[in-house]
Amino acid sequence: MSKQYCERNFKVSRRGFLKGCTLAATALGLSESMVPKLVEAAASPTRPPVVWLHFQECTGCTESLLRASHPDIGRLILDIISLDYHETVMAAAGHQAEKSLHDTITKHDGKFICVVEGAIPTKDGGIYCKIADRTAMEILADVGPRAAAVIAIGTCASYGGIQAADPNPTGAVGVQDLLKGTPIINVPGCPPNPVSFLGTVLHYFTFKKLPRTDQLGRPLFAYGRKIHDHCERRPHFDEGRFAEQFGDEGHRQGYCLYKVGCKGPGTFSNCPAIRFNDVGVWPVSVGHGCVGCTEPGFWDTMGPFYGRLPNVTVPGAGGGIVADAGSAGKKILGVTAAAVGIHAAVGVGRKLVQGKKNDEQN
Amino acid sequence: MQYERKYTWSILLRLYHWALALSVLALSVTGFYIHFPWTNTMLEGGSTFPVATMRYIHFIAAFVFTGAVLARLYLLIFGNRQERLWDFLPITPRNIKNFVATLGIYSYLRDSHEERLGHNALAGSAYGLTFLAAAVQVLTGFYMLYPESATWQQIGLFFGPQQTARFIHYLLTWYFMVFALIHIYLCVWNDVMARDGLISSIFNGYKFRQSKS
Repeated sequence: MSKQYCERNFKVSRRGFLKGCTLAATALGLSESMVPKLVEAAASPTRPPVVWLHFQECTGCTESLLRASHPDIGRLILDIISLDYHETVMAAAGHQAEKSLHDTITKHDGKFICVVEGAIPTKDGGIYCKIADRTAMEILADVGPRAAAVIAIGTCASYGGIQAADPNPTGAVGVQDLLKGTPIINVPGCPPNPVSFLGTVLHYFTFKKLPRTDQLGRPLFAYGRKIHDHCERRPHFDEGRFAEQFGDEGHRQGYCLYKVGCKGPGTFSNCPAIRFNDVGVWPVSVGHGCVGCTEPGFWDTMGPFYGRLPNVTVPGAGGGIVADAGSAGKKILGVTAAAVGIHAAVGVGRKLVQGKKNDEQN
Repeated sequence: MQYERKYTWSILLRLYHWALALSVLALSVTGFYIHFPWTNTMLEGGSTFPVATMRYIHFIAAFVFTGAVLARLYLLIFGNRQERLWDFLPITPRNIKNFVATLGIYSYLRDSHEERLGHNALAGSAYGLTFLAAAVQVLTGFYMLYPESATWQQIGLFFGPQQTARFIHYLLTWYFMVFALIHIYLCVWNDVMARDGLISSIFNGYKFRQSKS
């Protein structure tokens, strides 16, 4: 790898920086005039430092932030947040790393932001996840209450994720189940969209408070709407056009994926609007249903991945509005034809019985 | 003054009338909702699909409307004397005279006019126009309901592309609402002014005429 490549890859250009701030403003639903404020807050030297804790996780959330397909956002996040402790990306190791964690939370007591990635196991004293000889429970109980705010990134940190799936052998739970008294915001997803995370961070830096959340602690700007309601395949759902199985004619035509297991009707996220990887794709756009990864307990409640989500009514009489109206229409037109036929038959019959003379008198 | 009961409207015509009236009501309400789905922001996040439901009702009502129009088309040619086209369109000297006379009555310039069992020629003209409007509404409607169908594309392109057809469909909705308003007003007016039992005739089929004796 050449030096030039490294430099290009590890620096955020001003253009990229502004682009990231504008994307975050868009995701937050802020007007264009707010972009300079976000830029100012993101570039401010007084922005709070960040401690990033890894517990029971796959590092997928961090990976998704650092993917080369959106270098600007990944770098922007690392650049704008003064990341003092992050096990995946920090240079320090061992005692040095633990010292930097200790120094940060002591020096910036009550002012830093704590990002948590991964679930916290609670069974058997929490021994299933230990870092530097301390259990995840101990680390969270030490760092969490001293943070100004906690951002739980990913479904594991928010609700336990796959670790908490039945039978949950390690007793894994999300941050909100252990930590009380500190403002917590959940940015679930497997992984969450980096833009949703960036928006949450920039909102905090700019307005000095966490964005408004729903009942599940998720920011409304990113999780306020159902995937189903913004999906590009939604008209096919309404009209009753479905892919019945992968690779069939309906699938090739781009019809609704509900019958092959899409969990969009029960999942709240901005995926159809924000999309992924800076190339404008998301699972449904490439022919795979939503798996419902932003919902609590999705491994238990959203499975099987390729089974129909129950309790979803297809509009119309159950087969889509155009198909059902068409079949009702055939019956209605049939009744009309019958009525006209009876009328004609009675008229002809009367003429035959009463004769032409009688008809003329009438 | 003696009156006699005269059978005027056949069962099929009365069925047609009420199928048309109820479907126009349903089509107008759901049509304006589709035009401006005002509950959407309120129901967002719920598991209801109001636009889909409204469109479904609209389509069902549209088939009822189509059936009614087809039944009327049959009656225009094969119905009883009052129901036939040439009884009420101003295409004969008798009907043109009646057309002018009815205008005079409605503008309070005349007191009496030829009593006739069926429609007067002015109402008949309006019904003829409405029938044409209904035909256009049916054709543009099916053109929009089956936009990918080659058959409906051929028929619909007479009106232009989808958006033009949509615009015509929307404008004619207003025609039907204005028509309903005037229709109901004039029916009540006639029922008050004359003693032929106009309004009850569309329920039971009978009108009243003065006995000749």
